[in-house]
Amino acid sequence: MSEPTLLLADGGNTAPFQPLRPRMIRSAADARTAYESEVNRHAWWVALAADGLRHLVALRPRASRAGCLLVLKPVSPQRRAFVDTLFADVLAPAEPDGFLSARELVDVFRSPNAEDLFIGGDVDLADRVVILYRGNLHRIAVPFDWFKTRRGAPKPDFKDFAITDSGQTVRLGDYEAAADAILYEFDAGARRRMNQRAIREDQSFGGALRRLRLQRGVSRTAFPGIDAKTIARIERGEVETPHEATLAVIAKLLGVEPREIATY
Amino acid sequence: MPFSLRLPRSLERQGWKVKIRDRERLEPPHVSIIRGTRVWRVDLRTGKFMDIEPDAADVAGEVKAEVYGAWVMLQQRWDAIYPGNPVQSKENDNE
Repeated sequence: MSEPTLLLADGGNTAPFQPLRPRMIRSAADARTAYESEVNRHAWWVALAADGLRHLVALRPRASRAGCLLVLKPVSPQRRAFVDTLFADVLAPAEPDGFLSARELVDVFRSPNAEDLFIGGDVDLADRVVILYRGNLHRIAVPFDWFKTRRGAPKPDFKDFAITDSGQTVRLGDYEAAADAILYEFDAGARRRMNQRAIREDQSFGGALRRLRLQRGVSRTAFPGIDAKTIARIERGEVETPHEATLAVIAKLLGVEPREIATY
Repeated sequence: MPFSLRLPRSLERQGWKVKIRDRERLEPPHVSIIRGTRVWRVDLRTGKFMDIEPDAADVAGEVKAEVYGAWVMLQQRWDAIYPGNPVQSKENDNE
């Protein structure tokens, strides 16, 4: 991370954050000076506990909000509404385990692939989505349905959510999903980075189609109007340029645009 | 339920984990070696490390020995979690 880190330190252990060389905010005056400084316009503010937020009360919101605030412990909706007036983005999970531990959080921020790791999240039971926070503080929303289960296996428990393995695993009760599997499906940029890192013997269009088809759990016999042999031939690279109409059918069933198939 | 390979305590203390989770990238079947923010994927069909980064040389020899020592069991665990894409693919390529 290149942005300055400002630590609202009241009520928490600051030691794990020292590798980030944070500026400590211990009073309303500290907060005002830091908030008004242009250098800190895009800073990441971290509140170790809700207590630290009291130093923000005297701030006058910028004309255009900037910066990001992470609140590591749950806050009231009212306090959340207040800090929303000050920052462009606020990450404040509703549950106590909504973030990684402080030490793991710092490890992610210092990692060269921070954007491909998760630091925390929230579960929206009403809308049936898991909202995941990435190491670059961007969000990604994953529908409950994506967390597939097989017969006889434990189902994901969406009321028991945690990020584990230093941001590499999403745990839902006894169920675990790999962070890279989520990002591979939901973020084309992450997929590109992962493909660049992979030692891939089969970089053909057919190889990509096979990976995507298996990822979606779709049989070769499932494509309406297309013979399974044709799918097999495309996957083996025996069909140089699949017909546009064929690709459209394949893409529709796999839930992607035709041009996206090759990115898998 | 995910599968975690039981490692000697000394390796666990160093933060090593070996896992097959309930939702992974499916192709090819693989096992993940995890330490901190880094992960190495090992192809369960070929035994090869699948990614250029991080460097496979950074995985402790003892961890590699544990993984290859439990190879058949890891393949079986993968097949149990992902029967639709088993290590020895039953999919008929000529269908």
